[in-house]
Amino acid sequence: MGLQAPLWRAVTVFRGAALVYATVLMLAGSREHTRPWLGWTVLAAMVAWTVVTGVRYHDPAGRRWTWLTADLAVTLTCLLVSMLVVPAERLAAGGATLPMAWVAGVVLVWALRGGRRAGGIAALIVGAADLFLRGAVTSATVNGTVLLLLAGGVMGYVSRLTDDAEARLQRAVELEAATRERERLARGIHDSVLQVLALVQRRGTELGGEAAELGRLAGEQEAVLRSLVGVHDTAAAAGTADLRLLLGRYGSPRVTVSSPATPVLLPAAVAAEVAAAAGSALDNVTVHGGPAARAWVLVEQEPDAVTVSIRDDGPGIAPGRLAEAAASGRLGVAQSIQGRIRDLGGTVAISGGPGQGTEVELRVPVPRLG
Amino acid sequence: MVVDDHPMWREGVARDLTDAGYHVVAAVGEGAQAVRIARSVRPDVVVLDLQLPDLSGVEVIGGLVEALPQVRVLVLSASGEQQDVLDAVKAGAAGYLVKSAAREEFLDAVRRTAEGDAVFTAGLAGLVLGEYRRLAAAPGDGPEAPRLSDRETEVLRLVAKGLTYRQIAERLTLSHRTVQNHVQNTLGKLQLHNRVELVRYAIEQGLDG
Repeated sequence: MGLQAPLWRAVTVFRGAALVYATVLMLAGSREHTRPWLGWTVLAAMVAWTVVTGVRYHDPAGRRWTWLTADLAVTLTCLLVSMLVVPAERLAAGGATLPMAWVAGVVLVWALRGGRRAGGIAALIVGAADLFLRGAVTSATVNGTVLLLLAGGVMGYVSRLTDDAEARLQRAVELEAATRERERLARGIHDSVLQVLALVQRRGTELGGEAAELGRLAGEQEAVLRSLVGVHDTAAAAGTADLRLLLGRYGSPRVTVSSPATPVLLPAAVAAEVAAAAGSALDNVTVHGGPAARAWVLVEQEPDAVTVSIRDDGPGIAPGRLAEAAASGRLGVAQSIQGRIRDLGGTVAISGGPGQGTEVELRVPVPRLG
Repeated sequence: MVVDDHPMWREGVARDLTDAGYHVVAAVGEGAQAVRIARSVRPDVVVLDLQLPDLSGVEVIGGLVEALPQVRVLVLSASGEQQDVLDAVKAGAAGYLVKSAAREEFLDAVRRTAEGDAVFTAGLAGLVLGEYRRLAAAPGDGPEAPRLSDRETEVLRLVAKGLTYRQIAERLTLSHRTVQNHVQNTLGKLQLHNRVELVRYAIEQGLDG
């Protein structure tokens, strides 16, 4: 409760100041009091109570509702005892009660602990007691109650604000700690594990046989690990996604993903659809070209569109095959890709001849962002 | 000369090069040390890891090019450090290869670097293409942003899609050499632009200060 502590301290300071004010009024008015000794006793009780609550509220564990209720009871007692000390006609005329402004202390405490509503309730109770005391609705009573309500409301609002601010601060601190830890891990992994995995891949491939298989596995793990620990400092704005990161996941020893050095931002849903379409195209490469087929993915950002090309080094499509397949309604994967991209207002071009590999080009218009 | 802070890699690369008949004049693990030693051993080709403990890749390349204007730098780097790679190439690196590339691929890249060719992988082509697009889209203040001709764009896109120079030459009915020249040009223009920008920046700073 770091941010709340100063507020609680401020309430104690306010109570101390209100005590000084009450003492001055007592000194000035005690000659008219019917029972001056009782007045001084009440003042002494207020001093003692201010000290007790000051100590009690200093510790966050001491801010319990039982204490706050006792606080309200003591305040009301001090206020109501004024009936026995201050002459009734002076009270009815709006004269000073014994505690005077000191009663506001409990309203502030309630507001701090329970927010605006609790502050308002305390203000209304104290206001009602004041009204009972004076026996008539006067402008002074109404004024006093309105001021108490205001004080309770404002304090409750400030209390809620500090709670929010504190929670946010806490989250920010946690996030920063997590980011730092992640960066530290990423550096460590980059300097050691990734280098070794890359080395294993390289040497394994050269040795051939089973070692080559191990090397291939090491290479795959290297790509996965790299994308996991990759620190992406260009955090995409809410609702948008960097297409490079989504497509980067497809990268492997067989699949090369080429992209610009700057983020390719698309609305998150569009980016996900494009990435999914590119994923099906890559799956298609594996289906037709076998697990050894290589593929290249190129992401290009143009002023008004984003183009993703997927090319493989497979046998390619014989001329007319595509039209023939489309005519007989057996386009399958190509159709699902086309469906996705068309829904985004984009176009799909499939090209490639025998010996040239197959190339699928997805082109999606970019809505103006921000 | 081999520069890599990982001892296993440094030795592995140096051994591969020696086995292939190259003379490895130095193998060092730090950037500042690399620039210092390069002055005396005068390597033809520097195989450089971008992630060094002391200097950034751009700083090392800048230092090397300043000390030895004729030196050819081949960047050997882990993938996924795209901005670093682009900056390195703009600073004057002649080529870029991922660390996971096979030995033959690596030796071929060193050979081509030594011969003065740009080593353009698909990944690098994508980066360079993206950089030209970014420059074209950015509001122009200062020197005219470099532009690619239609033919250069076409060639670069095919390189980025993984076609070999031979395949590109076939498809566009060009000679192998022409394709190579186009690729080299795209890099040259970008490096020139980078130098002009640096000079402009230096003049502005000088005039202001």
